[in-house]
Amino acid sequence: MKKNINALIVVTIVLIIAAIVALIHGQYEIGLKDIWKIILLKFSGSSNEELSTPSLVLWSVRLPRVIMAILAGSALSVAGAVFQGIMRNPLVSPSILGVSSGASFGAAMAIFLSARTAFLVELSALFWGLLAVIIAYKIGNRGINSITTLVLAGVIVSAIFSAGLSFMMYQADPYEQLPAIVFWTMGGFNKILWANVFRAFIIISIGIIVIYVFRWRLNLLATGDEEAMSMGVNIKTARALYVTFATVIVAAATASCGTIGWVGLVVPHMSRMIVGPDHEILIPFSALLGGTFMLLMDTIVRNLPGGEIPISIITSFLGAPFLAYLLMRQNRQEWKM
Amino acid sequence: MNNNETLAVNDLNFAYRERKVLQNINFSVGNGDICGLLGPNGSGKTTLLKCINGILGNGNNSIKVHGKSISSLQREEIAKLMAVVPQELHLVFSFTVLQVVVMGGGSRFGLTGTPKEKDYLEALEVLEELGVPHLASRIFNELSGGEKQIVLIAKALFQKPHILLLDEPISHLDFKKQYTIMELIKKITREKNLTTLITLHDPNIAGRYCNKLVMLKEGNIVYQGSREDVFHAKSLEAIYDIRVQIENTRKGGMYVLPAD
Repeated sequence: MKKNINALIVVTIVLIIAAIVALIHGQYEIGLKDIWKIILLKFSGSSNEELSTPSLVLWSVRLPRVIMAILAGSALSVAGAVFQGIMRNPLVSPSILGVSSGASFGAAMAIFLSARTAFLVELSALFWGLLAVIIAYKIGNRGINSITTLVLAGVIVSAIFSAGLSFMMYQADPYEQLPAIVFWTMGGFNKILWANVFRAFIIISIGIIVIYVFRWRLNLLATGDEEAMSMGVNIKTARALYVTFATVIVAAATASCGTIGWVGLVVPHMSRMIVGPDHEILIPFSALLGGTFMLLMDTIVRNLPGGEIPISIITSFLGAPFLAYLLMRQNRQEWKM
Repeated sequence: MNNNETLAVNDLNFAYRERKVLQNINFSVGNGDICGLLGPNGSGKTTLLKCINGILGNGNNSIKVHGKSISSLQREEIAKLMAVVPQELHLVFSFTVLQVVVMGGGSRFGLTGTPKEKDYLEALEVLEELGVPHLASRIFNELSGGEKQIVLIAKALFQKPHILLLDEPISHLDFKKQYTIMELIKKITREKNLTTLITLHDPNIAGRYCNKLVMLKEGNIVYQGSREDVFHAKSLEAIYDIRVQIENTRKGGMYVLPAD
């Protein structure tokens, strides 16, 4: 118990340090002392000619981006931990029920239909992401209502929306729309504005708080449906609750920064290696570690010498080998298939 | 309501779609009873346990605990009345033994509750009571079959039930462990005045530990009653479809073996 509290404190400190590093570095370097001064200026309400450029970079560009990366990383990781827990499968990613395919389809459709504002693209992504999961859930509940049918339904729905996405990419205007769609599907934080942050913050923080409140009961669901029932869980209601809130936070994160792979799969693993499988600690730890992980990845991609690359490239490039490493040492501790 | 009827099953029928699995099941079990459910594979023993637990066929009023039908109860309320010890439990994640035992208290912590320090201490006491406090910080998946079974019993006890349902708890265990676990079940049933239902494959174990027997064949009860009344060659032959003979040992025990 004590050890786990310490783990939470350590990861929080790492997150704060990562945030400071992320705020300092970038195409325009801001000194650590300047950051402090800019914050003081903001609160005192006065202005300083000398600091106007770094102040602009910090408030309008870097801070929203840093907050969004933390939010998205937390959302994907918490959702990943939830899905892995209720599906009793450590290889499940938060997009297992089709939320990412749905959201990509929605964003592509909005771009394809020449949506004028980023807000419309975001709204369409959110809507179709949620719709995809609702369809998958309906199909999954029709059959014998097992986890396997649910996962299969997710695969089916993902396939349909991926086909739709491919069709639109094929039909899209190759000079304007196609690059926008491609960039969106790769995900990233380079177009994040405060408006995105506020919208995502409201949805993601509510979702994470609800999951946090109900977190311990995930342990019961992780032992098996009949086990959970005999220990007093109404599994239909419980599963619907967890799936709903996990999906909503993933959809919100995806809607504002595109599909970013591997974070939601790998971070819960890393968290289990550090604090064990008890969801009481796993959920808050995954949120903090996920935020830290995403922020570090984003800080790396925007500070690369050759210029920025889409973040999914690096999350996959680091995430996939990490999973390979876990598979090779599978017979040790964290989990068994 | 009489004290001898903690659990009453009245006219229970259950079918998977068209296939009838249980028909006209009537029996009752009281405090301190160890009731053995005997019958060949596919005779409906496990289904019966799941019906009693309300996992299958909820909605008819055939299962009553302390005279009250369970079909009107929430899962959480049922969990406060009865706990299940499964045949085996395979966990995907590496929970520790103590974490597994504490899960048994889930129905007391409430929907948003988390176990507190005192709950962990109490779970540890249950492990101590069963003689395995040293397992507390071990990873559940790494235990031997017998150790897992004791931990599952501890989890069920931590649930603080009136009724204990065990589904073939010893089928995977070696010769000695089968008796160790059965002795444990006998002891806790007596000490905690539980009502214990247990499905078993080995009639010898049933004859040794159960004071009540319910014998199933093809979804029907063919014999039921106290051990003295129904544990005989005729009833065993009827359910298992094999000629048996019962030998008496010098110490007064009985054992069943196939007839020559």
